[in-house]
Amino acid sequence: MSAMRVDTKVVMLGKESVGKTSLVERYVHHRFLVGPYQNTIGAAFVAKPIQVGEKVITLGIWDTAGSERYEAMSRIYYRGARAAIVCYDLTDSSSFQRARFWVKELQNCEEHCKIYLCGTKNDLVQADRSLRQIDFHDAQDFAEEIGAQHYETSSKTGNNVDELFQKVAEDYNDSAFQCMADEAAVDLGQKKDSYFYTCCHNN
Amino acid sequence: MSQRTERRGIHVDQSELLCKKGCGYYGNAAWQGLCSKCWREEYQRARQKQIQEDWALAEKLQREEEVAYASSQGPQSQSQSQSQSQPQPLAQSTPPHGHASLAPFSKFEEKKTNEKMRKVTTVKKFFSPSTRMAPKKESQEGKTPSPSISRQTSMETDRVSKDFLEFLKNLQRPGREIHKQCRAFIESMANKKDLGADELSECVQDFYQNLSDRLMSHFKGSSESVERVMDQVEKYIMTRLYKSVFCPETTDDEKKDLATQHRIRALHWVTIEMLCVSMDEEIPEVSDNVVKAITDVIEMDSKRVPRDKLACITQCSKHIFTAIKITKNEPASADDFLPALIYIVLKANPPRLQSNIQYITRFCNPSRLMTGEDGYYFTNLCCAVAFIEKLDGQSLNLSTEEFERYMSGQASPRRPTDDGSWPLEVDGSASSSTTTAAVNPVLAQLHHNLELLSSLNIRQDRLAEAAQGLQAELASWEEGVQREVQDILERYPLEIRPPPESAIDTENAESDRLPPPLTPQVFAG
Repeated sequence: MSAMRVDTKVVMLGKESVGKTSLVERYVHHRFLVGPYQNTIGAAFVAKPIQVGEKVITLGIWDTAGSERYEAMSRIYYRGARAAIVCYDLTDSSSFQRARFWVKELQNCEEHCKIYLCGTKNDLVQADRSLRQIDFHDAQDFAEEIGAQHYETSSKTGNNVDELFQKVAEDYNDSAFQCMADEAAVDLGQKKDSYFYTCCHNN
Repeated sequence: MSQRTERRGIHVDQSELLCKKGCGYYGNAAWQGLCSKCWREEYQRARQKQIQEDWALAEKLQREEEVAYASSQGPQSQSQSQSQSQPQPLAQSTPPHGHASLAPFSKFEEKKTNEKMRKVTTVKKFFSPSTRMAPKKESQEGKTPSPSISRQTSMETDRVSKDFLEFLKNLQRPGREIHKQCRAFIESMANKKDLGADELSECVQDFYQNLSDRLMSHFKGSSESVERVMDQVEKYIMTRLYKSVFCPETTDDEKKDLATQHRIRALHWVTIEMLCVSMDEEIPEVSDNVVKAITDVIEMDSKRVPRDKLACITQCSKHIFTAIKITKNEPASADDFLPALIYIVLKANPPRLQSNIQYITRFCNPSRLMTGEDGYYFTNLCCAVAFIEKLDGQSLNLSTEEFERYMSGQASPRRPTDDGSWPLEVDGSASSSTTTAAVNPVLAQLHHNLELLSSLNIRQDRLAEAAQGLQAELASWEEGVQREVQDILERYPLEIRPPPESAIDTENAESDRLPPPLTPQVFAG
């Protein structure tokens, strides 16, 4: 079985050619060590273990098709996702509008899903300030408004990429206990509760 | 008459066509040469036997466990391997543990009889619903050639149960517990046949949840071993339950299947360009992978375990990725993948697509479905199906009118520029030439083929002509050469001239005709 145990599902959302795939590629290929099969698979699904404290959390990163054609289907994609990285292109204001759309969708349909706002192609903006179409502070304000983390990344230089995914993993780790406890209170027996107690104790 | 000629053709004797049981009806190769009635009887017997064997196996396992437990100090592996080889192991397998005291042995006896009692009741329980349902089942089997299918499946069930027992043996005590649980669960499911699909799904999911929770506490949180066991449990349970829970009559899955199938058939005209798929089927390697992907997605229907179905989808997706990678020379992203998958689904038109998706959603182990790699590809397949259902002109970059025209078969996008000489052009006016391009894609193909053929014909004619010309030319050339040679011969006839005489040569034959040599004359002087 090539399938690897995955702890959580992270979806990449964003307009076409905004750089979702490159972001994942950058992140995964940056550290080459992990698992031989991941590199051969194409970049659409990646299972990536991350060290958080003393624990290893495996993120299942789901790339999605960003074209407007498939907008109606995006709900199927992010169903059950614990984190969503909503990407927009710093040099393309229309991509930010699309990002707003996804944020709204997520807020409506997946309340457990944590949102990460990610401006891509930071290297272009660094090289030529006039290319920037999305003001950092506007995006920051928007992120605060929706309670999201905000990052500006460059897949070319690797700037902020690791930080973004590390944060995703850490947040998942922090929330895991809480969520599981919630679930346990709803429909699970005593046994499961105690198990999670011990697992978080190690942490 | 026709029968006789047929017989002569393939050399089949009439008697070979009849049922092997000699009941006088015709048999069928799919039913091992039996007629439907005899086959059903035979099949029922085989099934009974299989069930009995199953029980025997289960009993055996339990007994082994008992033995192992009773003599937990003794060499367990030895006892197990021994009892395994003998179907009636009780009397023979205990003597090796002679050191075991008599008390546990008698206890064991007691337990065994208890067990037997219980088993009888469970066996009864197991059969009672099926007898109640019997008439219904009969009619179903009469309708379709299901006996042959279910014979296959019963063999598979048999194999899976054996595998499962083998697997559980390695787990020792918890294995027995798991087996008990699974059996009880399958029995309870047999009584719930009338429930709706969602309730059934809930039962199965609850069972998964409970069992994995218990396993979790048993393996002390080693999720890997839990997963391994759960995979086996899923395989065992779902193979057993497949027939009753796949596409159950209580849902409209079947209707949806048909609707999707019709929909895909109606969309046959969608081209690879419309979907913006980055696969170039001209490259042999790519088309190879496309074919493999199509095969995989169709094969999904033949699997029974949700996980195996998922594996088919994953396999299909990997082939698509390879195809894209070869075409584009770089790793594919989801933006390339989804359209390609849609294209594959449209081309494959997999059987019972909706039923399969529903079945996987309802009965797959949720942890696999929601997060893992298989889950990702499955989600993509769901997206592809949703896209196909909602597909309209806009999603293919076509105008609504165009889309309607293609859907109704009035036009085909395959040969949009073709027009003119096609004889089906009814009124023959120039204005209609755009739509008559191909009244329908089949005609378009036909037209295309005819054109190819006629051009081939012309070329052949030309070739024949040229060949004839060449032949004639050759002949005339030969003639010409001959004539020329003749001419030259005529103009310069061959004369054989006598060789010029040499005065020096005194020995010539005609020397006698020569005047006599001058003789010296003496003049007065």
